[in-house]
Amino acid sequence: MKTLLKAIVLNLLIFFSFNNLSFASEADGVSSIRYDEIYDPLEPVNRSISSFNFFIDEVAIRPIVKTYKFIAPDPVEKSISNFFGNLKEPIQVISFIFQGEFVKSLNSAGRFTVNTITSLGTFDLASRIGLTKNETDIGLTLAKNGISSGPYLVLPIYGPTNLRDLSGDIIEFIIDPVSNNIPNREYVYIGDALNERYEVDEEIELIRNSSSDQYEMLKSIYYQNRNSQIEEDYVQNLPTPKIYIE
Amino acid sequence: MKYLTILFLFYSQLSHALEEEIENWFNQESLKFLEIMNNSDRNNNENFEEYIKFITNNFAVKSIAYGLIPESIILKSNKSDLYDYEISFQNYLTKTIYNLSNSSTYAEIELIDIDLKDNIYQINSKMKEGKNSINLYWKVASINSSYKILDVIVENTSYFVTKKSEFSKILRKNNGDLRKLIEILNKI
Repeated sequence: MKTLLKAIVLNLLIFFSFNNLSFASEADGVSSIRYDEIYDPLEPVNRSISSFNFFIDEVAIRPIVKTYKFIAPDPVEKSISNFFGNLKEPIQVISFIFQGEFVKSLNSAGRFTVNTITSLGTFDLASRIGLTKNETDIGLTLAKNGISSGPYLVLPIYGPTNLRDLSGDIIEFIIDPVSNNIPNREYVYIGDALNERYEVDEEIELIRNSSSDQYEMLKSIYYQNRNSQIEEDYVQNLPTPKIYIE
Repeated sequence: MKYLTILFLFYSQLSHALEEEIENWFNQESLKFLEIMNNSDRNNNENFEEYIKFITNNFAVKSIAYGLIPESIILKSNKSDLYDYEISFQNYLTKTIYNLSNSSTYAEIELIDIDLKDNIYQINSKMKEGKNSINLYWKVASINSSYKILDVIVENTSYFVTKKSEFSKILRKNNGDLRKLIEILNKI
């Protein structure tokens, strides 16, 4: 299984290098990204999968999330969220090293140690003692090392991503020191995915209720969120409408 | 040197006064917004009317609406189509903000700081309810001597950017037909 995954990652990275040559202008500067023209050569396939995902979400995932939201008291929800967040700290230690952010890497290592020892990660004591949470992942590390996003992708159940972020997730799956040592880790992934879905429940509702094109809206939100993590002064660099006299 | 000092003092006094003015406007309008958002006494229709008033007074509706479509379409469209588009967009904007506000309740909007870049104020704020909070940025311009919102950025997601990509796709799919976009906006 691991050999197969390694082969997939290698292939993806080879594709990346060609992709970088063909779409060099996209990598020239993140702020120059035009959100209305995101590179999406697989749009027809992506749209079909996106509709399938919205359907599955409506009939299966959303009811689970709603029930969980209804049953679980707030402190339990918070503890579960903390637990899954804590499992991601070791991979963040590695990611920050490759971004040259050594202080943040040490901070993540400290957070993982403190929170695991004191509560198995269910309570964020580390934040209380000054080790604040910083989020990153391998996809962001690839981005900060100059690799462009590649084509936008929508995968069944998994949802929106792009070639770079998908490669990052596969690398994480292979090298994650914590999850690799947990028996039945598929349950951890399912739990984590449901927790993440729970955390974006309001946003998904908004996309359902107020979008003229759910696919485009989700794509735009995905890219804006990722770019806000990559680019400094992200908000300042967002395009603003030209002023017309009202 | 004396003139330069006077000029500097004048400029710093003026920018301080302007900053205070926009700060007052923001505090006043955000309180109004929270009041509409959290008012459970009114029925849905009455509350929707309040949202319409708030949006008409505080949003640069025309600038946002025209900014969301390519300039070539503005130039080739007739006045009546553009007017219909403006009206449809205003309704759509109101419905979006109404839906967004109804999906959550917040007790306070705290002003963090105000920046001025290219004549556009960027207001950084936090919407709070107990221990929960979300980051909200507002891009505001002074138009006809009143402050108007050009964009709202909720947790790094810009309303303007998101809608621009949606509208561009609809127009591309329909060969730049503005009437088709109006039709879709009216359906929502």
